[in-house]
Amino acid sequence: MHEKNILASPVSRAIGYILLTAITVAGFWAIGDKLVEGPINEGTNQNVTWGLWVALYVFFLGLSAGSFLISTLIYVFKVKQLEESGPTALVQALGCLILGGMLIVLDAGHPERIYYVVLHFNPTSAMAYLGVFYNLYIAVVVVELYFALRPRIIEKIQSGDQPAWLYRFLSLGSRRLDAASLARDGKWLMILGIIGIPTACMVHGGVGTIFALSKARASWVGPLFPFLFIVTALASGGALLTLLIAAFGKMPGERKLALVGSLAQLTLGVLILHAVLIFLQLFVTSYSGNLAQVAGDDIKLFGSYSRFFWSAEVGLGIVIPLLLMALPATRKRVGCLGLAGFLIVVGMLAERIDMVVPAQLTPFFAASVGAYNDLRYLYTYFPSTSDILVALGVFALGIWMIVLAGKYLPLEVSPHKSAPEGGALS
Amino acid sequence: MSKLEDSMNRRQFLRVGGLAGAGAVAGMAPVYAAAPNSANKQAIRYGMIIDLKKCVGCKACAAACKAENHTPPGVAYNIVMEDEVGTYPDVRRRFISRPCMHCASPSCTKVCPTKATYIRDDGIVVVDYDRCIGCRYCISACPYGVRAFDYGHNYHQHPTPFETEPSPEYGQNRKRARNTSPIGNVRKCTFCVHRVKKGLPPACAATCIGNAIHFGNLNDPDGRCWVTGKKLQSLLATRSHMRLREELGNSPSVYYLT
Repeated sequence: MHEKNILASPVSRAIGYILLTAITVAGFWAIGDKLVEGPINEGTNQNVTWGLWVALYVFFLGLSAGSFLISTLIYVFKVKQLEESGPTALVQALGCLILGGMLIVLDAGHPERIYYVVLHFNPTSAMAYLGVFYNLYIAVVVVELYFALRPRIIEKIQSGDQPAWLYRFLSLGSRRLDAASLARDGKWLMILGIIGIPTACMVHGGVGTIFALSKARASWVGPLFPFLFIVTALASGGALLTLLIAAFGKMPGERKLALVGSLAQLTLGVLILHAVLIFLQLFVTSYSGNLAQVAGDDIKLFGSYSRFFWSAEVGLGIVIPLLLMALPATRKRVGCLGLAGFLIVVGMLAERIDMVVPAQLTPFFAASVGAYNDLRYLYTYFPSTSDILVALGVFALGIWMIVLAGKYLPLEVSPHKSAPEGGALS
Repeated sequence: MSKLEDSMNRRQFLRVGGLAGAGAVAGMAPVYAAAPNSANKQAIRYGMIIDLKKCVGCKACAAACKAENHTPPGVAYNIVMEDEVGTYPDVRRRFISRPCMHCASPSCTKVCPTKATYIRDDGIVVVDYDRCIGCRYCISACPYGVRAFDYGHNYHQHPTPFETEPSPEYGQNRKRARNTSPIGNVRKCTFCVHRVKKGLPPACAATCIGNAIHFGNLNDPDGRCWVTGKKLQSLLATRSHMRLREELGNSPSVYYLT
């Protein structure tokens, strides 16, 4: 059981659950407050219109899209080394999608109208397309997850595991475990994976496109952003998957090291690409000297966000994990690779905040600063108590997901093969 | 452990590469260029010509706007930007009154996911409060910073009658109440469309102490300012003028005589 890994004694486990429950309750109180009172307690303003929630939304969506794309390596491209991480990757994709979705719906001034994005679809708006692809993506992930878990869930039912109602519900009435049904599962996993690859790219590349088309935020504008977002998604999704398998994977030691090692290698490659793209973006804009763009990047590199940028995003998120994953002394230890995954996830969180906030801290016209004196017209940003409580609540919900999924979902590889043999590699 | 080192062979690498390539193509989201500028073919295109030589920086325009539209704290449709040029004793303060530019090719209407903000046939860019979801994408897109999100603040803890009185905006006479539109919506200058409908100039133009703000139909060759009666086209023809950030291609309907 995974609890043995993280929470050794019953006392510490109880304290952990109490803390987690308290944070969850506080978070949901803040969510209720926002829904009832409206946006009055938000920390954003007329200049920094998108704050912590949007940064976290991009973060969670990246984790989701990245791990989904990795799952397609398994179900579409039949990469055998990664096979055992497939169900975990899909659960991660769905979980992070829910957490991100909660935040972005809540960020809207009128969350109850969020379906207007599809109902009153505007064909010139990247956000409208994102709304459509987001829904398609949810459907693909849910159905894909069903087919990935179906044989394992039926085994749970057959062995009489509790809670039986949960497994009966998750099986949707299916009881077949014969070769034909398993082959059908594999076929659907592949078809949905193939649909899912462009969909996941559209979803996270689409978020990048939303930023890249924000004409008033010069640091975001440019053709690199949509592609950068997909690369960042893969790096962060791979990192979290590495961490989850390293921390909670139930396979024997040798197989676990092989799996975590493969995931870490994949993550390492994408992380290097991510770092190169971040560097190129900063290099080209600072070299060009375009004042509007340089102003945003200056805040990140040398200004009020520089400590955060260099220590969290670059140091913790890129340099240390690169060393952990590359040095011979650490790259063959599951613990070190898991730590590297954790650090990359933390670094990516910092990267999202660095990407979202500093670009909004520069005035449109120098003379507009002070033209209207109000707290909502400042060129600074710090999340409000309500913002932070909601964010903590969402993270707590994520931990609940890990706890409950680890406890009840059959994520271990079953003796039955869900994917048919005969990939191009075998 | 050599197996671990070899765990990504060449064929797999190509597959991963193909995946990344597919992502790159897909990432270029389906957003097409703006429709060609049809603003010149419209019969009416309301706009402003603001004479910076006449502006004294009294900010009566901003105050009139507040009074007319009952905007709450933290929401300003019109601001006066100020700066100083030169070194003492050769020094001058400059003022720019900045309403919404009511662009002929607005960035805001293009990005709005729900078509809640749109450009009317007379060139005025408006917001449908009942359709706006409050995502604030338009604020990120507007290069003039004219849009403001209504967080729901009031000037007083117990709002005064002035604050609770319905705003005449769009002729809808909405009362601001907790968590109902326009709270949670993005708001902006409407050229006082409720006044224009009645043949009155926008509040800022009507109130300007030096008659610096001219308002009228820019597409009418004989169009005259609704306040001063001056011929708009001759103002543009005889005076040197500029528009803010013209290089962005938004084609603002607000001109500044310099």
